[in-house]
Amino acid sequence: MRNKVRGLRTARNLAQGQLADAMGVSRQTINSIENERYIPSLPLALALARYFGTTVEEMFDDQSA
Amino acid sequence: MTSQRSRAISQSKWFLPTFSGVLGVAVLVAGLIGGQPVVGVAGLVVMAAFGLFVLLAGSRSETVRGLRGDGRDERFAMIDLRATAIAGLTIIFVLIVSWLVAIARGQSGSPYDWLCAIGGFTYLVALVLLRWRG
Repeated sequence: MRNKVRGLRTARNLAQGQLADAMGVSRQTINSIENERYIPSLPLALALARYFGTTVEEMFDDQSA
Repeated sequence: MTSQRSRAISQSKWFLPTFSGVLGVAVLVAGLIGGQPVVGVAGLVVMAAFGLFVLLAGSRSETVRGLRGDGRDERFAMIDLRATAIAGLTIIFVLIVSWLVAIARGQSGSPYDWLCAIGGFTYLVALVLLRWRG
């Protein structure tokens, strides 16, 4: 599933580790999400969307899977 | 003990090393009781070395931190679940093959038959309970 996490993160000059700390997950988990190797749980997807001030639908694109 | 407290204990970096040490001491005691001190000491050394490795290598490896428990987030919990399922399926496969081989050799099939039955029964109970919980 494609997502915009990397773009949103880099636009805010955040390192993966900083975003990971904010989300309460490991840096590797953020890396896996950005590389589309791991689809986050609904709570984590919601937390990411809230953090970046967007919606889950905006951040994740299930049509291109 | 609440589930929150037990989760906090299992997610401590000391849990697995401590468990390894306790298991090593248990192997030592069992070896001494069974008149096999060398086996007991070897078991203690192996378990203590594993515990020490897990404790020290955690700062360098996500895998070790996940194994230890303190680096376990939702992704690693999923990895842990899959790894546990693979290990469980492997054990079940080995038990069934061992049971069949024992029967083919004219043996009773014990204790493989009981272990297979316990595994199957536990799976069915877990399936029903987990489905019931939703």
